[in-house]
Amino acid sequence: MHFTKSAAILAVGTALTVGLAGCNSGSSSASGSSGDIKIGLSVSTLNNPYFVQFRNGAQAEAKKEGVSLTVTDASNDSSQQVNQVQNFTSQAMKAIILNPVDSDAAAPAVTAASRANIPVIAADRGVNKATVDETIASDNVTGGKLAAQELAKELGGKGTIVVLQGTAGTSAANDRGKGFTEGIAAYPNIKVVAQQPADFDRTKGLDVMTNLLQSHPGITGVFAENDEMALGAIKALGAKAGTTIKIVGFDGEVDGIKAVQAGTLNATVAQQPALLGQLAVQAAVKAAKGTKLAATVSVPVKLATKDNASQFATS
Amino acid sequence: MTETSEARGEILRVNGLRKTFPGVVALDGVDFDLRPGEVHVLLGENGAGKSTLIKMLSGAYQPDDGRIMVDDRETSIRSAQDAQRLGIATIYQEFNLVPQLTVAENLFLGRPPKRFGLVDKRRMTADARELLDRVGVDADPGQQIGTLGIARMQMVEIAKALSLDARVLIMDEPTAVLTTTEVEKLFAIVRQLRDQGVSIVFITHHLEEIPQIGDRVTVLRDGKSVAEVPADTPQEELVRLMVGRSIEQQYPRERSSQGPPLLEVRGLTRRGVFENVSFEVHAGEVVGIAGLVGAGRTEVARAIFGADGYDQGNVLVEGARLRGGDVHAAMEAGLGLVPEDRKGQGLVLGADVQENLGLVTLGRASHGGLVDRAGQRKRAAGIAERLNVRMSGLRQEVRTLSGGNQQKVVIGKWLLADAKVLILDEPTRGIDVGAKVEIYQLVNSLTASGHAVLMISSDLPEVLGMSDRVLVMARGRLAGELDAAEATQDSVMALAVAGVESGTAHDTVGGSNVR
Amino acid sequence: MSADTLQKQAGPSERNGAVRAASRFFAENGALGGLVILVVALSLMSGSFLTVTNLLNVGVQAAVTAILAFGVTFVITTAGIDLSVGAVAALSAVVCAWSATSEGLPWPLALVVALGVGILCGLVNGALITYGKLPPFIATLAMQGVARGLALVISQGSPIALPNSISHLGDTISSYLPVPVIVMVAMGLVTAFVLARTYSGRAMYAIGGNEEAARLSGIKVTRQKLITYALAGGFAAVAGIVLASRLASATPEAASGYELDAIAAVVIGGASLSGGKGTAFGTFVGALILAMLRNGLNLLSVSSFWQQVVIGVVIALAVLLDTLRRRSTN
Repeated sequence: MHFTKSAAILAVGTALTVGLAGCNSGSSSASGSSGDIKIGLSVSTLNNPYFVQFRNGAQAEAKKEGVSLTVTDASNDSSQQVNQVQNFTSQAMKAIILNPVDSDAAAPAVTAASRANIPVIAADRGVNKATVDETIASDNVTGGKLAAQELAKELGGKGTIVVLQGTAGTSAANDRGKGFTEGIAAYPNIKVVAQQPADFDRTKGLDVMTNLLQSHPGITGVFAENDEMALGAIKALGAKAGTTIKIVGFDGEVDGIKAVQAGTLNATVAQQPALLGQLAVQAAVKAAKGTKLAATVSVPVKLATKDNASQFATS
Repeated sequence: MTETSEARGEILRVNGLRKTFPGVVALDGVDFDLRPGEVHVLLGENGAGKSTLIKMLSGAYQPDDGRIMVDDRETSIRSAQDAQRLGIATIYQEFNLVPQLTVAENLFLGRPPKRFGLVDKRRMTADARELLDRVGVDADPGQQIGTLGIARMQMVEIAKALSLDARVLIMDEPTAVLTTTEVEKLFAIVRQLRDQGVSIVFITHHLEEIPQIGDRVTVLRDGKSVAEVPADTPQEELVRLMVGRSIEQQYPRERSSQGPPLLEVRGLTRRGVFENVSFEVHAGEVVGIAGLVGAGRTEVARAIFGADGYDQGNVLVEGARLRGGDVHAAMEAGLGLVPEDRKGQGLVLGADVQENLGLVTLGRASHGGLVDRAGQRKRAAGIAERLNVRMSGLRQEVRTLSGGNQQKVVIGKWLLADAKVLILDEPTRGIDVGAKVEIYQLVNSLTASGHAVLMISSDLPEVLGMSDRVLVMARGRLAGELDAAEATQDSVMALAVAGVESGTAHDTVGGSNVR
Repeated sequence: MSADTLQKQAGPSERNGAVRAASRFFAENGALGGLVILVVALSLMSGSFLTVTNLLNVGVQAAVTAILAFGVTFVITTAGIDLSVGAVAALSAVVCAWSATSEGLPWPLALVVALGVGILCGLVNGALITYGKLPPFIATLAMQGVARGLALVISQGSPIALPNSISHLGDTISSYLPVPVIVMVAMGLVTAFVLARTYSGRAMYAIGGNEEAARLSGIKVTRQKLITYALAGGFAAVAGIVLASRLASATPEAASGYELDAIAAVVIGGASLSGGKGTAFGTFVGALILAMLRNGLNLLSVSSFWQQVVIGVVIALAVLLDTLRRRSTN
């Protein structure tokens, strides 16, 4: 008696919540009429504006092509992502776009899909130890080099700088840091005096920058491995930001572009997440139709400076 | 002073043992010796140092000063393993058994007989049965410990001690939790072990047990060993040694004139637990509730106080109906409950004396959410002095107080609240003679000032000695009411087992003193 | 021992008394000893550590954790736990920014709404725990998900800029008085006052020490627990607003993982997860230790991989020291 009552409450509650959430996300699966082609997209996290833009680009392209796109959010949890991909295979998707939470941990998901003969496109991050049909990603190493060159240009080839690192151990942090180190090595008069982690987080960027100013008051430049940390650093530097201390960020997210336009951020290496999403869906449609794909596609990164910032602002 | 016997044939001897804890001298020169094959009773009020002494013998504490000799050789017992190697085993009130495991598994916990690296179940069962037979307990080695019941669990503990080749068995208040017949059985086993040459240190608060089981008695008072006397020493003399003065009367009840009914209970029922319980308690009256363990006495008390709900019936305080299941309302109406489980339900053990004394009056001492801390301190100091709480100060943690003083704190918080009707559930369980009398005198002064007391007790002499009327419960019902002046232990027991005989006759006599 | 001998012992050296008083103070505030050690060590290792500006920075950086931790102190004192404070802080900040910008509420009203959201989340936690009989761990874990999710829903996943009027809360008055530090100290005083002087505070200790004894002493446990979790929610809202005002923008993913920092600060400060113990001052010291540690690691340019190791070890050491100290005094 008691049990049935609580079970009923639970059922109604679940139905309501799911229904409510469904209403909001209904638009995400563009149920195209011509869509015999169903594509699944597992995003690593939607808790980040970059991936939200990536999803938007993918959805726009799906609508244009008239295919049905189902989007799931793995909330940065690899095991959840494996489950989602497995669900895609049982839903008879014609192609799967995987934006891996973790390059290593994504392998089982890919294997599961390959066994069901469903093509997999890896987006933004590659997959290790399993073969995907195509990998589409921004070139983070090249981006790091671009950032180094731009910062050196702003500094006139000499100065002391600090680097705000992303979350230790992530591929984005590794690749951007690697590219930057290689790039800055070409300028012997620029000295990197500190590299400290701020975990891609704006608050931490603010705190770490504040602390570094204490130990290194004379710095003239900052490279932040993403825009969030750069925005935190700008807060810490106050009026010096963009003027006596040059700052270069990475990502080209909305707030970052605004800062470039305002002149507090000297430049940011803009990725094109919407383009990434668009290319991924195009590749998936091709794969679904049986067309052979190129193994890797690089989405170009572009430097956004005050001069060209307006063209990024729309995205 | 202690009459030390000659150092011949002693298995254990301690000399001048001292131990201090921050702010407290727990032991202040204790001498004690144990001969092979004797039962040596340790007697003393709570806080006299009995537990500290046995904890030193079992390796839990190290003495600050003094000597421990085993087999005439000075030794130090640094751990439970040391004690075990010396053949000293201790059976505490809280058993060291794993309820989910079987009897055999508990007996050989951590050292099961092995064969080819695997537990040899057959041999373990056989060995267990042999041990169980030795202590004469009827239990299946494959049975889960948790299903045994307290008495047989205790026997298993004894069997476990024997399996470790214990020559010295220390038993901390083993009879406190047992019924009369169970006590008889325990004594039989203790005597048998004694005859086999095992030496037993026996702690009890029940003076009448001493001549039955003991050979010698060492009395501790305030951390010192004050006397070593034969076990047939008269009870009055033992009390005098324990307390340091003679206690004129064990139950000093003074009847007061009765007033109007303060508490009325009408047809109180909780299905399956108690049924149709009705009675009144008048101002100036002490009403005792006697009965077997499990007769529903505590459940009724908790229901009256609102700690648990009830299905039917009414509780009226001074004629006004009380909402069921609402402790706060009961407290506001003037009820107070001193629960059976002092540490689990009566006290915040980690808080200090002042905090505990002020718990009930916290709301009353608050104005606009702010507590009048100075007032709370003043009132706590006043009541602590009135109740003669022995402590180092109001800031002492109640955890470190002795049982009797802890109980005074629980009662004290209700005195501060000026509860009109105080419900005392087993108010003197585990409390020494001196503190007991102080609590009885408090009950007298409460009734003299027009308050009422409802007292649940399994200690029949206490119920008879301190109540004006005695209600007897059996199987969830009121079996009868007796005037305390006319009631005898036999007449109470006759009512308590009435109606039980027809059902599952369990001879759990609720009185540990009914012997 | 007579009073006479006591006096004679104390007589010759007056200093002895001061030393004894000092050592007793440290014995009762174990975390403070750890803080002093940390200050001395960092001062020796880095020349830029012991400066007014840097110490103010540490204060500012401790502020958000400390305010969250003050709220969690109430909960831990009642033997509960609150895993939702980080997410509630983010939700409150997002609601504040959203109502002040997209909804056009005047800024004082937006602050009140944000505070209300925090308190409401706390009340829901409390209701799940008391009426729903959920374990606090589960109830607040669920709230963590709900609050974080709602923050994303409201913000559409992107940061919302705060109006200037509110972001002044992250400013520094006359270059030496950072507002976050002022807010932190004020909230700390409120916490100390609530715990020591109010009915609810004393009831929290009693409930944490022995819930059944508190109930049987007529304390309305259900109501007090609701108040406790509501306070934690309210404090989380304040922390969220301070966090957002420092950045002049409210981010839905802000303060993730901060609940663990807050709990660590409370425990470093001498509270017991089994309840009945905890002080505002201890928590304050605990939050300072964490902030100072991160600050010092930056100043010393310790590698990013090692920083996590050091922080973990220091948390364990701080609590270990405290337990050892307690064991020796008992």
